[in-house]
Amino acid sequence: MRAWRWLKEHAVLGVGILALIYMLAPIAIIAIFSFNDPSGRYNFEWVGFTTQYWQEPFAIEPLTDALLLSIRLAFFTAIGATILGTLLAIALVRYEFFGRRAANLLIVIPMATPEVVIGAALLSFFLSASFALGFTTLLIAHIMFSISFVVIVVRSRLIGFDRRLEEAAADLGASPVTTFRKVTLPLLAPGVASAAMLSFALSIDDFVISNFNSGAVVTFPLYIFGANQRGIPVQVNVIATMLFAITVMAMLAVIIQQRRAEKMQERRADDDNKATVSVPI
Amino acid sequence: MIEASKSQFKVLLLALAALVASVTLVACGGDGGLSGSDSSEATVAEGGDPNSLTISSWPLYIDSKTIPEFQKEEGVETTYNEDVNDNNEFFGKVQSQLANGKSGGRSIMVVTDWMAKKMWDLGYLQKLDHDKLTTVFDNMIPSLRSPKFDPDREFSVPWQSGLTGLVVRSDLAPDVKSINDLFDPKYKGKVTMLAEMRDTVPLVMAADGVDVENATTDDWMAAIDKLKENVDNGQIRRFTGNDFVQDMLKGDVVAAIGWSGDTVQLETDNPNIDYVQPAEGCSLWSDNMVIPVGAPNADAAYKYMNYVYEPKNQAQITKYVNYVSPVAGTREVLLKQDPDIANNQLIFPTDEYTKDCFTQISPPGDEAEQQEVEQAFQDVITG
Amino acid sequence: MKTLRQRLVPYGLMGPGLIWLFVFFVIPMYFMGQLSLKTGSLGAGYELTWAFENYTDSISQYSDQFLRAFYYAGVASFLCLLIGYPLAYAIAFKAGRWKNLMLFAVVAPFFTTYLIRTIAWKTLLDDTSPIVSVLKFLQIVPQDGRVLATSGAVIAGLTYNFLPFMVLPLFASLERLDRRLLEAGKDLYASAAQTFWRITLPLTAPGIIAGVLLTFIPAAGDYVNVIFLGGTKQAMIGNVIQSKYLVVNDYPDAAALSFTLMAIILVALIIYIKFAGTGALMGDEEEAT
Repeated sequence: MRAWRWLKEHAVLGVGILALIYMLAPIAIIAIFSFNDPSGRYNFEWVGFTTQYWQEPFAIEPLTDALLLSIRLAFFTAIGATILGTLLAIALVRYEFFGRRAANLLIVIPMATPEVVIGAALLSFFLSASFALGFTTLLIAHIMFSISFVVIVVRSRLIGFDRRLEEAAADLGASPVTTFRKVTLPLLAPGVASAAMLSFALSIDDFVISNFNSGAVVTFPLYIFGANQRGIPVQVNVIATMLFAITVMAMLAVIIQQRRAEKMQERRADDDNKATVSVPI
Repeated sequence: MIEASKSQFKVLLLALAALVASVTLVACGGDGGLSGSDSSEATVAEGGDPNSLTISSWPLYIDSKTIPEFQKEEGVETTYNEDVNDNNEFFGKVQSQLANGKSGGRSIMVVTDWMAKKMWDLGYLQKLDHDKLTTVFDNMIPSLRSPKFDPDREFSVPWQSGLTGLVVRSDLAPDVKSINDLFDPKYKGKVTMLAEMRDTVPLVMAADGVDVENATTDDWMAAIDKLKENVDNGQIRRFTGNDFVQDMLKGDVVAAIGWSGDTVQLETDNPNIDYVQPAEGCSLWSDNMVIPVGAPNADAAYKYMNYVYEPKNQAQITKYVNYVSPVAGTREVLLKQDPDIANNQLIFPTDEYTKDCFTQISPPGDEAEQQEVEQAFQDVITG
Repeated sequence: MKTLRQRLVPYGLMGPGLIWLFVFFVIPMYFMGQLSLKTGSLGAGYELTWAFENYTDSISQYSDQFLRAFYYAGVASFLCLLIGYPLAYAIAFKAGRWKNLMLFAVVAPFFTTYLIRTIAWKTLLDDTSPIVSVLKFLQIVPQDGRVLATSGAVIAGLTYNFLPFMVLPLFASLERLDRRLLEAGKDLYASAAQTFWRITLPLTAPGIIAGVLLTFIPAAGDYVNVIFLGGTKQAMIGNVIQSKYLVVNDYPDAAALSFTLMAIILVALIIYIKFAGTGALMGDEEEAT
């Protein structure tokens, strides 16, 4: 009886964890094969254990270049899209104005457009405007498709925002700039940070749109697509595993930091004013 | 509220400034950014630095030492981009630039015979100055000196050559000796073919006894119909690039149409994977270095071509890519360094070995007719 | 009375973003619309001849691939919902202190490139892999069958790749659920199942719809999963568009197909917006249109 009850209680959690395992299984494979020692150029069958490729993860120059390019691209995409998207979100949440629905629509439609269509449309646009394809066209494209996602994330943060805090600050004599810096920005920051992270992730992961608009530039996903033709070097697994590990560590750091902050807050004010845990994305 | 809006304006301005700054920063630090958008005249170099060279080639088509050594010896700063995955795809991306007389910064592109010809016919390539290519023409093997598509080597210099034929798991499909054997129901769902039409279709035509080099559009269409049948009945598992190798290592695929060079490399992965010369003959092709119009630095391109046509430099490349080398004397260098490679039929094929082979061809007819054939083949792949 | 300046503030804030979207989305779409009505060839150039037959011809020729794309995307979104709902529910209500960690685990795969993960599935699903053996044992896959290069593999790949886009909006709407309503249900002696069907599910409908759209749309236009996991009879409309653009260089037909795909999705979206308002898709339930 008790076992049944326990099972019932935890069934959802169990299914959730199974789902997580499903999501992470390929990553486990990638990580395992980063320690493989393939006899030839193809890293698909387990041959033997080695840490050789972990010792020289950046030995393949085109791969490293592609990775650095992707990181640079994702970084600037995150900056650009976060700024543009945050401003949009502020306007949409804080103001009533003519053309708001149209603006909303313009933000939603890119999300409703399949990547292959965006990629192709941008390609014909760049070609007919005789833009040279390359890093700049990639950056333009990545910022374009990230903006909508940033707007959504920041917006949901803004809606839960207690404007009385700003008013209180103003009542207490804070100048608007101080209010923005000391009240608005800190409260908005987690949303903006998640948005930046999401656009970074969308950019570094993009293949379809980049494939159309890359010109001579090779991003990390494009390198993998090409290398898949002739045997993906083990270093790709190593780097993918590293990226994953770094992300996880960064996330853990954030979580631990949040826990600490929560605890301090709890100590300060035991009850009602419990800070809502900021949720990434 | 007015005050508040003022501050928001300030924030907005700051944000905009940051954005503009970051974009310009990237554009300048990047690949020359939008420089292509100024309407400079055709064939005029874009920021041509006499000591730099940008090459577009295929992934893993060169060893890791040649470029650094070339840079050091010749003092030419070289950017080697592996941005060609597919002739057609590459063409689609660069076509409009080339049509405007711009090369996107490239001074050398590596494309297959028929694509080189297509680009030449469209006026996208420069005529080569043979006086500057003395090493190349001293060392090019005779059989490659006057191919049909470019009899005087006016616009193309072979990078590597290869054979398209059968790749077989000899332990799982020992009796596959001809293209027709691929249609044996025994191997249903365990056969793949190349997604490059000019690799696959001529071999299928040859299997039906068509004289490939004089094939008509109808012959092409008949072969494509045959492929469609074998897609519909599940005989053909996939149309692939070289990635069929992954399936073959696992034994999911036992016989395929594939390229010679990559098969040589598989020897170390799985000795049971063999290249088999089809009974009907094979298809011979080369990937060529070409110099596009508007190339910023044709002279550096010539230097590079001459450099890789030195047998000792070529040997290093051949050792890595295992395709047929276009450079005479390479075999002699390799005999000392690596006799296994020097004696490999697939890397240094004898005339006897390739006697039934034909040069890779495009469908006959004008652009529209060719496109129709290409479309029919694509409709089979994406059916 | 608002001053002029005040009224201009929102436009100033939105200006850069909207201009960006206009220049790099609306205008390219317009170009593509124009291209889709042209005739000609790469060599000879294109001319606007209002060739509406580009649409009729290509739609009738590729109706199979359209239907297949919507079918695969539909099944994949449904599977995403089936897997994603319990996951989102577990994260929102059962995870306790592990909530953020689990949420991170949902997002983390984004950082190991989509292509590598899809290629990893090839290793997991090859004809002799343990997973396939189990599926054969359970008679889900026939004894002489395979998983790779089948519709099943493509759908599994789509489901896998777009699952996070389902989980995140579901989580957002579950998280926002007023728990007092659930308690009220309990107090009124509703069973757990009743509470779920009568309260939780209806209240999270916007999240479900947002999730379905966010998985269905990219899945319907995808072509990468077919390249890696599919075989010969699995091509989706994305594959046709990609090959028309990049292989055959038949730009007008490619543009016509792209536009058709987008139009179909937009119609679905408009129906949805009528139903739930733009705000809902954007995770904003307070604004009903």
